[in-house]
Amino acid sequence: MALVTIKRNSPQHIAIRVLGVLLVAIAVLWVPTKMTTGNIDSMTNALALVIAASALNLVIGYTGLISIGHSAFFGIGSYATGVLVSKYGWGHGWSMIFGALLAFIFGFIVALPALRIKGIYLALVTLAVAVLFPTMMKWPKLEWLTNGARGISGIRYEELPSLPFLGELKGRDDRTVFFYWYAIMLVIITVLVCRGIVKSRMGRALIAIRDNEIGAEVMGVNLATTKTLVFGVSAALTSLAGSLSVARTGVVTADGANLTLIGSIVFLVVMVVGGAATITGPIIGALVYVWVDNYTRTASASGDGLIGWLFDWSAVSPASIILSVALIVLMFVAPDGVFGLVRRLARRVAVIK
Amino acid sequence: MSRFFQYLFDGLSSGAIYSLLALCLVVVYRGTGYLNFAQGEMSMFCTFLVWKLNDWGMPLWLAAICGMLIGYLGGATVETTLIRPVAKRSQFAVFVVAIGLFLGLNSLAGAIWGAPPQETMPSLFPNEPEDFQRIFGASWRYQSIGILVVGLVVTGLLFALFNKTRFGLAMRAVASNADSARLVGVNTGRVLAASWGLAAAIGALAGTMVAGTTGEVVPGLMFSYFVYASAAATLGGFDSLGGAVIAGLTIGVVENMAAGYAPKWIGQEMRLGVALLIILGVLLVRPTGLFGEQKVSRV
Repeated sequence: MALVTIKRNSPQHIAIRVLGVLLVAIAVLWVPTKMTTGNIDSMTNALALVIAASALNLVIGYTGLISIGHSAFFGIGSYATGVLVSKYGWGHGWSMIFGALLAFIFGFIVALPALRIKGIYLALVTLAVAVLFPTMMKWPKLEWLTNGARGISGIRYEELPSLPFLGELKGRDDRTVFFYWYAIMLVIITVLVCRGIVKSRMGRALIAIRDNEIGAEVMGVNLATTKTLVFGVSAALTSLAGSLSVARTGVVTADGANLTLIGSIVFLVVMVVGGAATITGPIIGALVYVWVDNYTRTASASGDGLIGWLFDWSAVSPASIILSVALIVLMFVAPDGVFGLVRRLARRVAVIK
Repeated sequence: MSRFFQYLFDGLSSGAIYSLLALCLVVVYRGTGYLNFAQGEMSMFCTFLVWKLNDWGMPLWLAAICGMLIGYLGGATVETTLIRPVAKRSQFAVFVVAIGLFLGLNSLAGAIWGAPPQETMPSLFPNEPEDFQRIFGASWRYQSIGILVVGLVVTGLLFALFNKTRFGLAMRAVASNADSARLVGVNTGRVLAASWGLAAAIGALAGTMVAGTTGEVVPGLMFSYFVYASAAATLGGFDSLGGAVIAGLTIGVVENMAAGYAPKWIGQEMRLGVALLIILGVLLVRPTGLFGEQKVSRV
């Protein structure tokens, strides 16, 4: 039994929500003003993961279509920005929009088999896409476009625009701050799109498909349109994360971070650790992921603390080992992820009715 | 014509590996109804163990047998401790655990052994440059012949196990209806654990042969083989042993021919694309595969 019961839309409920928004706003502002440049950069990296994992969440968490091919959509965004900016002199914004369109079409096509097959079979198609994408980018026939295995480098914002409030941005530190805000903007777009879909008629259709596909169809959900559309939207959002990462690092290679099958798995880990089928889950998951990654990297390098002592024998960072163990343990103790766990505990204290 | 036979033979040899791995997938799928995404990584890990045992001075064939035994125990343990408890909840939970295993084994292998020096993994079969026989103008390497023979022998043994033994009968019973099988006294838990163990053991053998052909063991050893194997299992139908073998050999031949006859367009790089097209095509046209059974679901 909960200690407190709060009525929905009562002043107390609104106060709690306002407090929540304020806390998030303070955290968002605190990062670029108080953190070191390296940490701001890590946060931007986490925000890219938030975008990708939220997009994946639409497909897996809400619709129940299993995909491990989202690294390819991330790659489409990366390569669209890389090629268009460095070879054709496009602006970053336009290249991002073009990449999103391309990813939408591609996602639509990948989802076509999902109309006839279910569960694990769709995962197979997406697996093949994920493995094929880096190979395709290294294909000699496409070398004129993608530079083959060398990849594309020097994809930078030539000059940073001067922004309201922030003024003119110069140098490495300001560049990092700029990309942080750039990422925040994209995260806001992604969260709004996901929220908009989930809270709408379409979102209810998605959840109906996940819970009982035949039932959903009987109730008048158009399976073909809904599935392909949500896959396309998810692919387009993921490509935004790809474009963002390229703009931040300035390079793209076919075997780079998040472009291979491992990238898809990282998105999945972020989504599951944070909490599937929630809007907040992927945000928490990405923060946890990047924190674990950075912490274990430094701890194992310096040999400090428990992690450093435990993984003294390992030459590489034990981050993925710890995360995979965490993933399996989480499936046993908290299948709803960290956010689900927190929410369950919070409901012991207060219930909103 | 000699080119044709060369591609045909090379294709059969790589197809034998795909068949073996596809058999692993099918054995697990028939018992439990889900695809083991960690299959490739499990065989990769066992292959590392084989390599290490051999490195310590054990003869390779003995090391391979030890690797298969360890694989069997490991596979059975994974099923009983990790998969079965979450399988009650949902298929997605099983998928996540399998992905966790995938990532875990992959990074664990990377952390323990790093990238071993190249050309250190010996082959189970004679593999000197002069070890080949010319038949129909194509060079049939002993190594490829060995892989093909091992593939066929393992397939034959599996068929015998499934069709001639009491244990195989239990396995088929669990595959067709687990609840009824339990009611008539089949120990379903043991059958499921054994099918995972069996799959892991065959995977270990396949991994050892794969590493033997290239001479190196790396954490990414089985990535593309896993894709080929799942293409084979899809083409053959996920619940058909014979289908998996025929489809594995077919895919091996088709991709070798495609790579050989269109070196500019497909070549070595885009061979995987052939597998992808096969998966996509089969799933669009005939989702149950060539030999699979249509599933009817009750609302």
